Amino acid sequence: MENLGLLLHGFEVVLTWHHVMLMVVGVLLGILVGVLPGLGAPNGVSLLLPLTFAMDPVAAIILLTSMYWGALFGGSTTSILFNIPGEPSSVATTFDGYPMAKSGRAAQALTLAFLSAAIGALLGVVVITLLSSWVANFALRFGSPEYFAVYFLAFASFIGLGGASPGKTIVSMGLGLAFATVGMDTISGSLRLTFGFGQLVSGISFLVAVIGLFGIGELLVTMEEGLRFDGLKARISPRAVMEAARMLPRYWLALLRSGSVGCWMGITPGGPTAASFMSYGLAQRFSSRRANFGKGEPEGIISPETADHAAGTSAMLPMLALGVPGSATSAVLLGGLMIWGLNPGPTLFTERPDFVWGLIASMYLGNLVAVGLVLCTVPMFAAILRIPFSIIGPVIVVVCFIGAYTVANSTFDLWLAVAFGVAGYLFKKIDYPIAPLVLAMVLGDKAEDAFRQSMIMSRGSISIFWSNGLVATLCTLAIALLLWPLLGRALRVAIPSRRPPDALEE
Amino acid sequence: MTRAATSAGSGRHVTRLAAEVFAALLTLALAVAIALGARGDGIGWTTGGPEAGTFPFYVGLIVGAASLGNLVMAFTRADRAAVFLDATKARRIAAFGIPLLLFVVASVALGFYVATFLYLSGVMRVQGRYRWITSIAVAVGCAAFFFLVLEVWFKVPLLKGPLESTLGIH
Repeated sequence: MENLGLLLHGFEVVLTWHHVMLMVVGVLLGILVGVLPGLGAPNGVSLLLPLTFAMDPVAAIILLTSMYWGALFGGSTTSILFNIPGEPSSVATTFDGYPMAKSGRAAQALTLAFLSAAIGALLGVVVITLLSSWVANFALRFGSPEYFAVYFLAFASFIGLGGASPGKTIVSMGLGLAFATVGMDTISGSLRLTFGFGQLVSGISFLVAVIGLFGIGELLVTMEEGLRFDGLKARISPRAVMEAARMLPRYWLALLRSGSVGCWMGITPGGPTAASFMSYGLAQRFSSRRANFGKGEPEGIISPETADHAAGTSAMLPMLALGVPGSATSAVLLGGLMIWGLNPGPTLFTERPDFVWGLIASMYLGNLVAVGLVLCTVPMFAAILRIPFSIIGPVIVVVCFIGAYTVANSTFDLWLAVAFGVAGYLFKKIDYPIAPLVLAMVLGDKAEDAFRQSMIMSRGSISIFWSNGLVATLCTLAIALLLWPLLGRALRVAIPSRRPPDALEE
Repeated sequence: MTRAATSAGSGRHVTRLAAEVFAALLTLALAVAIALGARGDGIGWTTGGPEAGTFPFYVGLIVGAASLGNLVMAFTRADRAAVFLDATKARRIAAFGIPLLLFVVASVALGFYVATFLYLSGVMRVQGRYRWITSIAVAVGCAAFFFLVLEVWFKVPLLKGPLESTLGIH
C-alpha cells in the first residue's frame, strides 16, 4: 500500500500543464518516428536525447518515454495499413493486421491493435508499480560481485534465449563491450583502444551507434528493397472504435496470456520483438480458430500487440530497479539517465522518489494519451507515407546526422555514424542481432567496474562469484543460459528422430 | 559495397556465404585489434587491481573465438548460395548511399544548413524528377525548419560553414 501513496505523489508530479504538453509532443513525435521507416523507438529516442541534456530530468524522461509509447503505436499503424512494420516488434502484427485491413476492416484492425496495446502497456505498468520498489529493496543488498552477476545474467539470457545464432550474439555483444571501453579509463585514467585517434579519447557514444545501426542501417535495407507504399485508406469512425471495443472482452484469455508473455520477456531481456512473436505463436497454437490465422483473425492482432506493449513497458522495471535495461530503447533511456546525472539502480528509489514515481505515473497517463492521440491522428500520419520517398528518405538522413552531431558537436561522429550504418546494414541482412550491441555499449562501463571491483575484493580469484548463495545462483543461472543452445543441440543429436529437417548441422 | 561478386547462379551477385565470411573476417579483425590494443594497456595485475587492458583483452579473445565459430558455421548454412546482393539492389544502395556520403562531406565543409539544402534539392531534382522550383522550395523550407527548431527553439547550435559566417549567423 506504500506504493500506492508514492504513486499518487507521482501523479502530483506529473499532472502539470508543462508535463502533459511534453507528453503530447512526445507521443506525436513517437508516432511519427514509428510510422517512418528507418526511424524507430531506439533511434528516435537517441535523436531527441541530446536536446534534453539541459532539461529537468523528470520533464526529460516524460518526453522520451512518451516518444517510446508513441513509436510503439506508430509501428503497428504501418504494419496494418501498409504491410510494412515500422518497428521490428510489430512484424507479427502484419500477419493478421494487413489481411484484416485489406478485407475492408482497417478501422477495426487499427482499433483492436491500439486498444489491446494499451491493455498490454497497462499490465506492464501495473507490474512495475507492484514490483519495482520490492526489487529495488532487494537489490540494495547487492555488492559489486552481485552486480556483475546481474549484468552477466542479462548478457547470457540474450545469448541463450535471444533466438539469434549464439555466435553472432556473442560477437555483437562483445563488440559493444569493447566499444564501451574506448577512451579514458575511469579507474586508472589511462587511454584505451584509441589507436592514436584524438577523437576517440572521449569514447564512442552509444547514441551515435544507435543512430547509425538502427537509423542509417535500416534505411539502407529499406532502400535496397525498392520501397513502395501501397497503403490502405484509414478513416476511424467512433462506431468502428465502439465495435472493436465490444469485441475485446471476448478475447480476455488471449489478452491475459499475451500480457504475461510480454511482461516476462520485458523483465528478462528478451525484448518486445521476441515477445510479440512468441505471443503470436502461442495464440496460433491454442486458438480454436487456428485456420483463420494469417487471414485476418482478430486474435492474431491482439496477441502480438498486447505482448509487444507489455514487454515495452515492463522493460522499464529492471532498468529502474537494477540499472539493467530489458530492451534497446530502455538501454538508450538508461544512458540518458546517466547523462542527466542520475544513478540508475536501487538507490534511485530513495534518492529521487519524485523521479521514479513521476515516471511510473507518467507511464499510466502517457499510454492513455497515446491511445487517444493515435486514434485521432492515424489518417494524418498514414498520409505522411504517401509523400514520395525521394523527399522523406533524405529528410530522415538529415535528421539522423543532425542527431549524431548534436551528441557531442563533433564531425568525427558523422563518420562514425556512417560506419555504424554500413555495419548495421550488413548485420541486419545476415541476422546479427543489434540490440545486444547497444545494451553492451550502455552497460559496458558499469559491468567492467563491477568486475574490476570484485576482482580487487577477491585479489583476482573468480571464486568470488560463487561466494554466497545469491551471487552463486545468479552466476549458475547465467551459465546455464549460456549453455542452453549447446544443450538444445545435444538433445537434438541424441534424439535424431525429432530433429527438424532444416537444422542439419553436419 | 564493391566486394568481389561470385558468378554462381544467374547474373553477377554476392552470395550469402560471401557476406557471412566477410562479416566473420571483419569481426575477427576487430577482435584482433581490440586484443592487441588492450594488451598494450597492460593485462596484468597491479596493487590497484587488474590493469586497464584486462577486461577489453578478454572481450577481444571471446569475440575472436566467436568470429571463428561464425566463420565455420557460415559454410554449413543451408542457404549459403542464396543471393545477398544483386545488381539491382546494389544500384539502389548506390543511388541512396552516394548522395548520403556527399551530404556528410558537404556538411563538414559547408555546414549543416547549406548541405541540407544541396542534398534535398539535388536528390529531389535528379532522382525524384521534380521541377527545380519545387525542389528548391522544399529544400529551403526544410533547412529553415531545422534552423528554427534547433537554433531558435532548443538553442542547439549546429555545424556552420562559410555562408553563415558571411551572413553573420553564429
